[in-house]
Amino acid sequence: MKTLLKTGLTAVALMTGSAALAEYPADDNITFVIPYSPGGGFDTIVRQFAPALEEAMGTTVVPENIKGAGGTRGGQAVHRSDPNGYTSGIYNIPGLTVNEVTGRDQGFKLDEVTWIANLAVARYGLAVAANSDINSVDDLCSMGNPAKMSDTGASSTASVTTRISFGIMGCEIVDVTGYSGSNDAMIAVISGEVDATIKPISSLKKYLAGDGSGDLKLILTLTEEEAVPGVATVTDIGHPELAKFTLNRVIGGPPGLSDDVVAAIEEGLRKASASGAVTSWADGAGVELSFMGSAETKAMMADLATFYQEYKDLAAAPE
Amino acid sequence: MGLDTLLDAFLAILNGGSLAYLAVGVILGLTFGVIPGLGGTTALALLIPVTYTLEPLDAMYLAGGVMGATSFGGSISAILLNTPGTAPNAATTFDGYPLARQGKAGLAIGASATASALGGLIGLFTLLLFIPVARDVVLSFGSSEFFLLTILGLAAIAVSVKGKLLRGLIAACVGLLLAFTGANQFTGDTRFTGGIDYLWDGIPLVPALTGLFAISQMIELSLKGGSVADEAREAAMMKISGVGEGILAVLKHWPVLLRGSIIGTIVGAIPGLGGTVAAFLSYSSTAQTAKDRDTFGKGNIKGVIAPESANNAKDGGSLIPTVAFGIPGSAETAIFLGILVLHGIEPGPQILLQNEREIYGLIVALTASAVGASILGLIFARLLVLITRIDVNIVVPVVVTLSLTGVYVLEGRMADVLLTVLMGILGYLMIRFDYPRLTLVIAFVLGEIAERSFHQVRLISDGQVIEYMLGRPVSVILIIATLITFLLPAMRNIRWLRTNAAE
Repeated sequence: MKTLLKTGLTAVALMTGSAALAEYPADDNITFVIPYSPGGGFDTIVRQFAPALEEAMGTTVVPENIKGAGGTRGGQAVHRSDPNGYTSGIYNIPGLTVNEVTGRDQGFKLDEVTWIANLAVARYGLAVAANSDINSVDDLCSMGNPAKMSDTGASSTASVTTRISFGIMGCEIVDVTGYSGSNDAMIAVISGEVDATIKPISSLKKYLAGDGSGDLKLILTLTEEEAVPGVATVTDIGHPELAKFTLNRVIGGPPGLSDDVVAAIEEGLRKASASGAVTSWADGAGVELSFMGSAETKAMMADLATFYQEYKDLAAAPE
Repeated sequence: MGLDTLLDAFLAILNGGSLAYLAVGVILGLTFGVIPGLGGTTALALLIPVTYTLEPLDAMYLAGGVMGATSFGGSISAILLNTPGTAPNAATTFDGYPLARQGKAGLAIGASATASALGGLIGLFTLLLFIPVARDVVLSFGSSEFFLLTILGLAAIAVSVKGKLLRGLIAACVGLLLAFTGANQFTGDTRFTGGIDYLWDGIPLVPALTGLFAISQMIELSLKGGSVADEAREAAMMKISGVGEGILAVLKHWPVLLRGSIIGTIVGAIPGLGGTVAAFLSYSSTAQTAKDRDTFGKGNIKGVIAPESANNAKDGGSLIPTVAFGIPGSAETAIFLGILVLHGIEPGPQILLQNEREIYGLIVALTASAVGASILGLIFARLLVLITRIDVNIVVPVVVTLSLTGVYVLEGRMADVLLTVLMGILGYLMIRFDYPRLTLVIAFVLGEIAERSFHQVRLISDGQVIEYMLGRPVSVILIIATLITFLLPAMRNIRWLRTNAAE
């Protein structure tokens, strides 16, 4: 009887394949893999989006932290999951892009991931201590000895950005890595241990005059257009290509995810992104929401791969 | 401004709802503390998703309750089973366990509870005093000071292993080897990973320590059989109580308490060092300078007071970087800041201005928890002591199951469990062949920070490391402290030779 029932059900499922998909995501929870620990930036954005996404999609969304191996273990878990739309994850971009370009085996290929959406973007700024005599990139690059910068790990996106952008500008620097977090890296600038640091503008703001404590001074934003009033942009200094350096919160799924499922999740995320709960959280936390759909995200990923490929040698960590 | 908020936070605790969160926190903290393998960080990490739906202030009471109670909870297993409930309690086993075997577990628990509560209070009081200068304190500790502190810690290990210098050095080198596993902070290359992805992020601390301390001790106990307090029972020395004496012992040895608390506060303020180093430094400085230093390791009550006071005072200290810049001073405060982030609060240098309620709420919760956990502990001490009379064939399976489950729960990785077992075997071999385990652990904890901060100093000083260090006042103080640590035993020997020659 059971076997008969199973066969019957399979037959029905086969016949009404598209109809069954139209019901997605009715019959199961959607798992969202976060490749880092609870409480960090990636975890927070997923947990902030989850309730709004549940409402938009009409099913339960379960955030799951699978950390380890520099954020690749979570990506591997998504990669191995069934392409049925019930497992997707958030990716550290361009961190993973840089890893791939510099030849590190991450256990999965980025161009095989089904890119669904981009939720937020962080733009970088260059800051020095508020009481420093340095007021521009020119000042920083003509101190007589190479300027010292502070960063977390050598393979962190900020460190890669620092090495490549100063390389492009033809300015010699020493990137002092090993600080425990981006806050510690900024404090090293305040205490005078290093000269400057490149960090997301939203993080730097806490230390700038006005909104923040006034310990740091912003001298450049890595944006094409003016992002902070009165602060020079990379267009102003003749290197608009440096605006390509951003930090993205990208959502992807396993290879072979069907277009219908992608469209459904994309639509859910789009609604969630515009919801009051998410926008007011983003305002308070200084997160720049920047929603991109699947096609746009896929194009961005390809674009980033080409961009970092070009600066592969600078991207590789120093010996 | 600050005091008003502090008072408000105290009054809020009396409000029924908040008190309930705090009480739940304390009970969770004690439980997670007692069980080897589970600790404050595990408890807090598991609580994060739960706190998401709570008011930020209630989340702080819950987190504070957990943070304040785990270290005392951990000392109970350290004393009764020679198995530190949390890594920082490792130093408590040196004298706590011998006391338990002599049938004086009540005395040790009483002293540990009192030292924990008072140490916690002193640490938090110091924090309140330090709030106005917290910024300057944090800014005066740069890479150079971090490096020198790790050297001071390693120096303290070197002199603490009396008569076992070579074994101590071997254990320390193994600790360094473990510390250097994983991605190199500077080049991004991976070291000693043997192609295993698991090792990319280095060897995780909690499974390694659970194996080295808990599993190894369980192997030892099960091979030995009987019960912990067998010798005492045979000698008819078993005392069920002694808790009151323990409380008095702490008051009598108040200089030990005070020194432990100060060391705990200072070490707590340095991100990355944590309670294990604080408790160990407090223990070794007490043991090195005491007149009756020969009795340490054989059941000296000061050997319980010193690490436990430091262990609780470090929570106050670890909030110094937090109030100054919104950065964590310990794994627990990192999770606490994570909870704030989840509530849409971005911690930063103005945390004390913008989130005064949450910070003072946490401080009050920590204080209430340290005291509350100790009172609970004292009430139940009589019952707990009975554990030492239970046959090890019952104790061992329970502890092993709980610790391995705890290790698995933290990250949900089977590899962590495997690592715990391997470390347990290593730890047992070390017990068997008389190699000091704590030496390995301190080197393991300090190794990574030492390497990282040395590279930083090298880059910052353009290679002129010594000149750079000598130009920084705090660095000079640390260099002098390290020299004293090395010279103290030598000077003592010279004095001993002289007095002997005179006779």
